Amino acid sequence: MLFNTIDFAIFLPLVVVLYYLIPHKFRWTLLLAASYYFYMSWKVEYIFLIIASTLVDFFSGIKMEKLADRRSRLPWLLLSLIVNLGLLFSFKYFNFTTENLNFLFQKVGLSRELPMMKLLLPVGISFYTFQTLSYSIDVYFGRQKAEKHLGYFALYVSFFPQLVAGPIERYARLAPQFRRRQILTYDNLVHGLRLILYGLFIKMVIADNISGLVDQVYAHPENFASLDILKGVVLYSFQIYSDFYGYSTIAIGSALLLGIRIMDNFKSPYLAKNISEFWQRWHISLSTWFRDYLYFPLGGNRVTKQRWVLNILLVFLISGLWHGANWTFLIWGLLFSLLYLLERLVNRLLNFQKAHSAYSAGHFLLALKTFLLVTVLWIFFRSQSFDGAMDIFRLLFQNSALDPQELIIPGSTWIFLLLFVTSDVILYNRRFDSWVGGLPYLLRWVIYGVLLFGIIVFAGVENFPFIYFQF
Amino acid sequence: MKESWKHIVLNLVSLLLLLLGINLLYTKLFFEKDLQEYSSIINLVREVPLEADIIYLGESSNNARREDDLDPRKISDFIADFYPGLDLYDLTKPAAHAGIFKVLLDQMPETSEVETVIVTLNLRSFNAQWIHSPLETSLQKSLVLLKPYPPLVNRFLLSFKAYEIKTKEEREMDFMEQWERDNLHFPYEFPHENVRKWDRWMAYEGIPGDSGEIDRALTELACHHIKAYGFQIDTLRNPRIADFDEIVDLARERGWRLVFNLMAENMEKAGQLVGEDLIFLMNENRELLKNYYESRGVMVVDNLSRVEDEQFIDQNWTTEHYAENGRKAVAKQVALALKSWYGYEYRDTGY
Repeated sequence: MLFNTIDFAIFLPLVVVLYYLIPHKFRWTLLLAASYYFYMSWKVEYIFLIIASTLVDFFSGIKMEKLADRRSRLPWLLLSLIVNLGLLFSFKYFNFTTENLNFLFQKVGLSRELPMMKLLLPVGISFYTFQTLSYSIDVYFGRQKAEKHLGYFALYVSFFPQLVAGPIERYARLAPQFRRRQILTYDNLVHGLRLILYGLFIKMVIADNISGLVDQVYAHPENFASLDILKGVVLYSFQIYSDFYGYSTIAIGSALLLGIRIMDNFKSPYLAKNISEFWQRWHISLSTWFRDYLYFPLGGNRVTKQRWVLNILLVFLISGLWHGANWTFLIWGLLFSLLYLLERLVNRLLNFQKAHSAYSAGHFLLALKTFLLVTVLWIFFRSQSFDGAMDIFRLLFQNSALDPQELIIPGSTWIFLLLFVTSDVILYNRRFDSWVGGLPYLLRWVIYGVLLFGIIVFAGVENFPFIYFQF
Repeated sequence: MKESWKHIVLNLVSLLLLLLGINLLYTKLFFEKDLQEYSSIINLVREVPLEADIIYLGESSNNARREDDLDPRKISDFIADFYPGLDLYDLTKPAAHAGIFKVLLDQMPETSEVETVIVTLNLRSFNAQWIHSPLETSLQKSLVLLKPYPPLVNRFLLSFKAYEIKTKEEREMDFMEQWERDNLHFPYEFPHENVRKWDRWMAYEGIPGDSGEIDRALTELACHHIKAYGFQIDTLRNPRIADFDEIVDLARERGWRLVFNLMAENMEKAGQLVGEDLIFLMNENRELLKNYYESRGVMVVDNLSRVEDEQFIDQNWTTEHYAENGRKAVAKQVALALKSWYGYEYRDTGY
């Protein structure tokens, strides 16, 4: 079930109404049933993967807590890691690994060919796997008490607003909210609805109207003039941002209607002054996950310089691989790490980052630089293959199309894009719901009107699933 | 809390006013443009004059033609030749099926004088591959703006994808699962439990060509025939039956006479490639459809084995695309069936 469908428009209000009507002690059951239904509406049998993950981590957690020292807990942590990462590997990376092994066999003259699997990638598997892994790791390190109630734990793993594309929540933050008796407040209702409205707008009006244009360019870049390819490349930066930001905003708003607060996932990332700041503002729940569960355990920056460089490389490479089983994602991660390191070096030498306050000309120049760098890297992220990415780079500079196809961007798309960019600047370090709440009544309703009108009348009608669902 | 309720009521009133304003703006300025962009299928209905006597709902079988055809006209044109005194119009939409025809018929104005509706009844449209066709998403999408609600509500439904949205891969999985799920029942011993197994067996065994070697192209075609015709219609579960049932109900409501034109399939080739088992299933489905709809007052014209192999345009695929003589043969049967209502208008054409 997608957030921008009529099914969800019926499902969410129904769940919210039932949630507040029934006694608190039954609410977890309702939310769990709703979450499983939400997931099963996509593919029924894949719910067993979530259930398997839930059971393994639940019992591993209890076992680990009973054991005093880390050494005796380790087998249970390993069990959790093996099961969760094993499932993730089987569905997401098996074919990629097989394909590369077969290529290797061929290169060394072996006639053996390993078989590929024909499986649909379970939606959101990377998200809920990471979410539940964070719990196991926290219990292992003694940072988190093991949950004794299977129902609440299962709900933590599968809570529908953030099940399939995050934000990836930590147990300590999310689970206690399920236990708390939530009451319907005007504030939660209004803030939740505002976020859903804004999220739908940026997904349906911005992302979905850009998707088709970007697809045209990436499918046949050779048909377009260099300038149009450039437009397609830049538009993709907005597409992926509005798509994922839109999804996260709807997720946060939907959870808020139930009185549950989940973390912000984006904070105007294209206004970041450097790559490091970009990752503090982009997909925050994943960046912090990698920071806490990979970067810090590797030693973070409290190691030798060489080891630190290696840590950075490793974190970005794994982050790239998390996004998808393709060399393009690995290259994307590698390039991000190199840029990060390069920026750190340059900043140390020149130290010009801190001099610019928000909204200053210097800030915008640095943000533009970051945006351009990130946009270039998105080419690897969006391309189906390394060769495809190279084609885009080549054609950006060397236009050989004899009778190039024109990339027609409708006037309405330009206008809405401009609105989106403006809103992103306004919302720098702020959230839409709070900001709009502070405006005079009439102006607030004008904004609601524009968003609503855009959503109903100008929403893209092609079905473009949320990009991050595939991860 | 009292203050909150005041806010809520005020906000609801504001929302209502906003929606009314948006609806007005949308209906006046954007709806027709959207219809043309996303539901141009409506133009088919708009082109039918109110005085039309008969309408023919067809898919690509109606207007397919072969290069050597002397008369490239449609099946519906050939039917019209038999009744020069009647106004017969066609609504032809490639890849359409009963679910689409139903929506088109729904759009017929109440003031229309149509008496008879001829609907293409395509046997293949009941198979799993067609039911879960990747084309289905865009077909369903083209119908959303035609729903009987205010324009803004329809646009809302379109924006919020109020149709079955599935990717090509998901739909492929759906029909493959159905091939595996639906067991085949024969009144005699049959070695293959379902289409999936039958298809695999055929692919493995292969069909020998002239040289005695396995002819891969021929084998693939045989497999395709199994997948296209190897099914047994379940009147309770097959969605196409439900679509045709709705057409029957609508015709009853609107006082139309209804004709279902069961299109010809290349039974000759199916028999040659796969054998009598497949012919058995095709005949069984034919009888089922005839009995089922005739018992509901529909005139079913059985053209299933009317066209010979040579007249099928696509020799390497299963379609209902006929060359001139094939189209004429099908048209003639429909025309003859219409005689019981319009005998006084009938003229022999020599087809």
